[in-house]
Amino acid sequence: MQREPEIKRKTALSYKTEKKTVLRGYNLSELAEEGYSFCDALFVLFQDRLPTTNEEKMLKYEMGVFLEHSMSPSAVAAIGVSAGRPNLPCAVAASITTFGGVHGPGAAHGYMLNKYIERARREGKSLDEMAKILVDEYLDAKKPVMGMGQPQHIDSDPRAEPIHVKQEELALDGVYLEFQRAVEKHFHARRKKEGRSYVGVNVVGSGNTALSEIGFSPNAAWCLGSVCRGFSCAAHALYNMKKGRAWGASRNEPMVQMIDLSMIKYIGPEDRTVPKQAQRQAYARKQKEEGEYEKWVI
Amino acid sequence: MGDLGDKKGIGNLDSPKMPYDYSRREYGTVARDTKRAPFQWVSEVAYKNVHRIVARGYDTTELMEEGYGVVDVLFVDYQARIPLVEEEQMLNYVMIMALEDGLSMPAAMSRMVAQSKTFLTQACGASILAFGHAYGAYSAFGNRLERYLKMAEEQQLSLDEAAERLVRENRSDEALGVSSLMLEDPAAKRMIARAEKLGVAGRSIAFTKKIVQAAQRLFDEPVDLDMLGATGASMLDLGFSPEAAWAIMAVTRSFAAGAHYIEEVERGECRRLGQTLTPKAYYDGPEDRPVPPLKDRDNHARAAVCKTPEAWKKRFEKMQSVYGSGFRIVEEIADPSKKSGIKTVGKL
Repeated sequence: MQREPEIKRKTALSYKTEKKTVLRGYNLSELAEEGYSFCDALFVLFQDRLPTTNEEKMLKYEMGVFLEHSMSPSAVAAIGVSAGRPNLPCAVAASITTFGGVHGPGAAHGYMLNKYIERARREGKSLDEMAKILVDEYLDAKKPVMGMGQPQHIDSDPRAEPIHVKQEELALDGVYLEFQRAVEKHFHARRKKEGRSYVGVNVVGSGNTALSEIGFSPNAAWCLGSVCRGFSCAAHALYNMKKGRAWGASRNEPMVQMIDLSMIKYIGPEDRTVPKQAQRQAYARKQKEEGEYEKWVI
Repeated sequence: MGDLGDKKGIGNLDSPKMPYDYSRREYGTVARDTKRAPFQWVSEVAYKNVHRIVARGYDTTELMEEGYGVVDVLFVDYQARIPLVEEEQMLNYVMIMALEDGLSMPAAMSRMVAQSKTFLTQACGASILAFGHAYGAYSAFGNRLERYLKMAEEQQLSLDEAAERLVRENRSDEALGVSSLMLEDPAAKRMIARAEKLGVAGRSIAFTKKIVQAAQRLFDEPVDLDMLGATGASMLDLGFSPEAAWAIMAVTRSFAAGAHYIEEVERGECRRLGQTLTPKAYYDGPEDRPVPPLKDRDNHARAAVCKTPEAWKKRFEKMQSVYGSGFRIVEEIADPSKKSGIKTVGKL
């Protein structure tokens, strides 16, 4: 049996022999036998260290509260993929890949925090001063301030403030929480001054702040959040695969299905005749010259 | 545009062989169905509103505030229950063991995707696609275990008899859970010992141990319990379905795939289109040959159409020597939808 690695790489993460698997120097079996948690192992994986008790509690809380979010882009993707009844991992993979610039943009938020904290240090400004600069720069440029607002939880994300409070309770408040709190303060003040409605912190704003505070890099934090969501999306896909109707269009279900024909609303070009091949060049030239098609180009 | 005059005379659409008059088919979208309830996302797993996220009836923020954690929520989502402390401890153990596996397929796939300068999430998603019915085959392993346990009950076989039958009938399958992979690594057996110590071992672990014994009697070479067998049996005894185990283990590994992505980006370099060469030494296809002139195409080309089953069979067998054509692969792709559907939801 061929047991060579799939690719040849120098790696600082782990090695595996016929006798053991070792993660950052720790034998995985020994880590588990000693009673460390899965969250502890994630610190070893990403940070090459065991966490303090409170850091482990914070990660356990943050991932636990982030894991399930009912119908979000990630769950919808998993359910959509499952409609064709591929292997379950395809649906799970799809769910994780929905995490981009808008859905759970943890890395982007982390990079934003790092950039402005570094600026505060370099420019000799307090975190509070720099938070105001951040808010003003983003809002002046009409860019959304990452970590603020949630399209469904419009009256404050149920996970967000409790994460901040938990972080404080666990005495894990450092530069990140101080800066994030200041961002929120200036964000709220500016919106109030402009007569705009209240927009609360979201789970990326608070959760990612906590993850940054307990030492995770922006990408590592993003991985923790987006992959963790994969657990629940798999459950949603599995529920639909086991109990839902494949394809999502059956007319025999009492409820109109996800992609029932009646769910399609078309707003494109009017119905039109396919030109004969003999007319094609003239037709195509005219179409191109008139340019009406350009408004449909995507 | 928008002209819909004479619709006759388009290709074969007027052919008398057509069972309908294509030109008379309507344009336009389908009206909303008011005789059935409108579409909604139906879920037994979770819902949310503006103020709460609720999984299987439990507010997830309240769960965390009460001291539960991420591993507990897996029991909530997949099994609609709070786990025993020992069950939570066991799942932590299993997930630690499943987290990292060196430069095996999920890590390799993550790293390859990383080389194309992608988002981290693309690489993590790709790693999950490594989990099939050979690598990380928790679905295949678990479903087979349950099938033979059911058979044992129905046919009144002892666990030993059922285990021996399972091994005889599946001895070359990658998802047996018994192999030569862990002869020197005690990790798999330690996992089973931990499940027994915590009091969470049940009939799946008991049956798996019988399978190991049967395999050791029937195989010529030394074999023992491997990580697939230990993990799969432990997950079943924790109450997870084979598919749930498959998903949870794949996602667990994906965390490490994220670390592999990060390291690949930190240490590596991107790959460009056309950069990777494939040495001729790797190639065992047809010898290099001239491309025939297009005008002579029909002198060179041979149609694949077979007029008789015998001719079809002959071609089928011939094509089996053409690697990459797919004729060597015979598999069944099941449609599990026949009995599915939610008939109780959505009635007006």
